[in-house]
Amino acid sequence: MTIQIDRNIFDDAAISKTIYWLSGDFSFQRRLEGEIESITITPKPGSEMSDLDIELAFLDKLNDNKLRGIIANETKDIRTILYAKAFADDDYLSEEDLNE
Amino acid sequence: MNYHLLPFTFTRISNHEVLVNELGDMIISPFGTVYKLVNREPVDEELFKSLAANFFVSDTAIPVLSDIYALRLREKKRFLDQFTALHIFVLTLRCNQNCVYCQASSCNEDCTSVTMTMHTMKKAVELMFKSPSPYLTMEFQGGEPSLEPKLLRYGIELAEEINKAEQKNINYVLCTNCVDLTDEVMDICKQYKVMISSSLDGPAYLHNTNRGKKDSYEKVVAGFERARSILGHDQVSALMTTSELALDYPIEIVDEYRRLGFRSIFLRALNPYGLATTNPDWTDYTDRFIEFYKTALNYIIDLNIQGTFFIEEYAAIILKKMITPYTTGFVDLQSPAGIINSVLVYNYDGYVYASDESRMLAEFNDYTFRLGHVDEPYENIVYGKAAKNAAKYWSNEALAGCTDCGVRTYCGADPVRNHSTQNDLYGYRPASLLCRKNKAIIEYIISLIIERYDEVMPIFKSWLL
Repeated sequence: MTIQIDRNIFDDAAISKTIYWLSGDFSFQRRLEGEIESITITPKPGSEMSDLDIELAFLDKLNDNKLRGIIANETKDIRTILYAKAFADDDYLSEEDLNE
Repeated sequence: MNYHLLPFTFTRISNHEVLVNELGDMIISPFGTVYKLVNREPVDEELFKSLAANFFVSDTAIPVLSDIYALRLREKKRFLDQFTALHIFVLTLRCNQNCVYCQASSCNEDCTSVTMTMHTMKKAVELMFKSPSPYLTMEFQGGEPSLEPKLLRYGIELAEEINKAEQKNINYVLCTNCVDLTDEVMDICKQYKVMISSSLDGPAYLHNTNRGKKDSYEKVVAGFERARSILGHDQVSALMTTSELALDYPIEIVDEYRRLGFRSIFLRALNPYGLATTNPDWTDYTDRFIEFYKTALNYIIDLNIQGTFFIEEYAAIILKKMITPYTTGFVDLQSPAGIINSVLVYNYDGYVYASDESRMLAEFNDYTFRLGHVDEPYENIVYGKAAKNAAKYWSNEALAGCTDCGVRTYCGADPVRNHSTQNDLYGYRPASLLCRKNKAIIEYIISLIIERYDEVMPIFKSWLL
C-alpha cells in the first residue's frame, strides 16, 4: 500500500521516526515529488495487519512524532540550560550565561 | 495563551495521554492535551496548574524555579556523583548445581583453573577502594562462591583492613544457592554481617527441574532456615529466574515465596547469556514473560488489598523512579547505564568487566566489555578504551528510539544487551526484546495507576517506604 504525505504538514524527521518504529514489521520505500512524499509500505513475513490498520498505525505515530518534534525543537535551548545548570561546574556558568 | 513549554515527551496509555518530563514527573491527561499545549489552545484550568507546578510549562522562558529544577535533575542522576558502588567478585565458576538456564557458564565442582587466586583478590580489593563512592557493596558470585571459603574470608578481611583508613560504608553480599552452607562459611557471614542472596525459582517441582537435581529444593530451603537462624531472618533474600517452565506458574511462585516467609519477590526474566542462550525463541519467551509478569503483579496487588504486605521488587524500582524525586541503585534501569558507573566485575581469571553480563559474554569468547586486568592501574580500567567505547552508547537520552520514548526516564540504556542480542552496542529499538519487555511493564504499571488509582496507589506508595 502507498500513503501520500504532504511535506508542508509533516517534516522529514517526523516521517523518519515513524518509519523507524514500524520498520521491525514493515519495509518502506520513500519517494518525494514536489511537496508530496509517497511512502510504499510492504509488510514483512508474519504481519497480519490489514491495510487500514497499517495506515491508521502510521498516521497515529506520525502525528505524535510531529508533536514530539515541535516540543523538542521548542525546548532544546531550555533543556540545554537546565542540564548545564544541573551538571556543569558552577565556576564555569554564570547567571548571564543562563539568561543569554 | 502565552506560556513556554519545558522539555517533555508523551505516550498514549489506557485512552489517556501520559506526559513525562526530564525529572520523571508524570501527568495523566485527556487525549488532545499535547496538541493543545503545542498550539497554545486552552486546557482545563486544574490540569494547567498541574502542568505548571510540575515543570511542563512555564510563564517565563527560564522557569523561576530553575534552580529547583536543576537540583531535582541532579538528584535523578545522583548515582553518577558517587561512581561505582557495586563491586562483584567472581570467586569461581565451580558449582554444585546444574541449572538449565545457567547464565554464568558454571562448571562442576571438580573443575580446575576456574578459581580466583589470592593475588587477584588482593588487587581487586585494592581497585575497589579506588572508587570514589563512599558506599561499597562487595558481592561474591560464582559459580558457587561458598565453595571457596578461604578466598571469601581473605577478601573480606583485606577489605576490613584497608577500610580502617578509608572509612567507607561497606556491605557484603554472598550470592549462594544455599545448598551447602558450611560452618566455615556461616562463621564468616556472622562475623562480618554478610547478607545472603540466594535463588529460589518457586515450588519444589519447578525449582528442582530448573536445577537439574532431585533434591535441590529441600537443600535450599534447609539452607535458608540455617542461614536465617544464624544470621537473622532479614539477612537472607532470594531471587527467582523465570525459566520457560516457570512462565506457567506465576501464582504458585508468588505463593511459594510467601510460604517461606519472604515479604517480596523480584520477578526476573531470563537474560540471553551463558547457557540461557540455548532457549529457542526469545520473542515468544518475552511475550509470555510479559503476561506472566502482569498475572503475578495483579495477584500481588490483590494480596495487598486483602491485607498481606508483599512487594514486587521490579515494580517498586520503577515506581520509585516514577513517583519519588529519587534515583535507584538498580543498574539495569539507569541512564547513563549502570555498567562501570555503578558496577564493576572482577572475574576469577583476573580480568575486570563492565558488568556481570559482560563477563558472561567473555565465557563465549566475546571480550567487548573487558576493561582491563586487576594488575593495571585503576584509571586504565575505568577510563580505558573499552570503557570509552561503551560510553558512546550508554545514555538513552541520546539513542534513536529512546530519545522520544514517553517512558524513557523510567527506563535505562544497556549497550551490553544490545551487543549480545543485536551485535550492535547502539541497538535497534523496534526489534529489541529488552525494549519490548521494559516498555510493556512500565506502561502496564502506568495503566494500573490510570485505571485503578485509588486501589493501587496506597499499595505502591507503601512499597517505597
